[in-house]
Amino acid sequence: MTLELQASAGEVMRAVEALETFGRTRGIGERVLFGLSLALEECASNIVNHALQGDMRRTFRVTFEYTGGSMVVELRDPGPVFDPTQAPAREPSADNDDHPPGGWGIQIVRRYTDEVRYTREAGENVLRLTKLLDPPTG
Amino acid sequence: MPLEIQIHKSIAGQYAGATLVSLTGSLDTATAPGLERQLDPVLAGPTNDLVFDLAQLKFISSAGLRVFAMARKKLKERGGQASFVHMQPQIKEVFEIIRALPGVAVFANMAEMDAYLAARQSAYDQPKPQTPGSTPPRQVL
Repeated sequence: MTLELQASAGEVMRAVEALETFGRTRGIGERVLFGLSLALEECASNIVNHALQGDMRRTFRVTFEYTGGSMVVELRDPGPVFDPTQAPAREPSADNDDHPPGGWGIQIVRRYTDEVRYTREAGENVLRLTKLLDPPTG
Repeated sequence: MPLEIQIHKSIAGQYAGATLVSLTGSLDTATAPGLERQLDPVLAGPTNDLVFDLAQLKFISSAGLRVFAMARKKLKERGGQASFVHMQPQIKEVFEIIRALPGVAVFANMAEMDAYLAARQSAYDQPKPQTPGSTPPRQVL
């Protein structure tokens, strides 16, 4: 399933809702779905706020792939080259009062996914988030 | 999912200066700006204790955590405190991943929070010069 989304916060949440529906109809558990939805929200928000500068005329694409053994969320945007996997993870410090954009996002994404892969293809940033799914019981 | 915000200026009429903010729904990239707007007048006012009741909060992203961190920072600058009560497990997990809000008070229930606020209030009740519009010391029951 592929969605084409305008660069806005509302469209990010439309993608999140679509992922939740997609996941629930395939029997993906709520805990996994929560984490994957959050990872999608973080990555898509970064695209809207940074790659596409909040310009609603610009669009990006989100694709959901389900294989039974895994769930993949792929994000493609035509923004300037930006690899979020190379963003330095913030060190927790005694006084966390400075907030670089995206620093928290990638930590959240890594926590809730099993693999994060970035490539640059045909002038687009391509980010693939993979979550391995437990085999169904019984 | 939208975000519903309820702001009560006092808790059970007993805690002058404490403000309870109840959140229902999703605090995310779309709804965080609205929360920030509603907190602006609260943070500009005299409150020193801001308590977020997250019992009905189902989703939080870094956009929401940044609003909490901003509120905490502004309160901290004047010796105030942001507290969080009734966090659902998946929400607490996000807080812990980021460790974005060190030193915030997190309570399992209102009784714990009441005891905490009472202790903070008695610290405020030390004799100090009266300023216009200030509230009289509270009875600790």
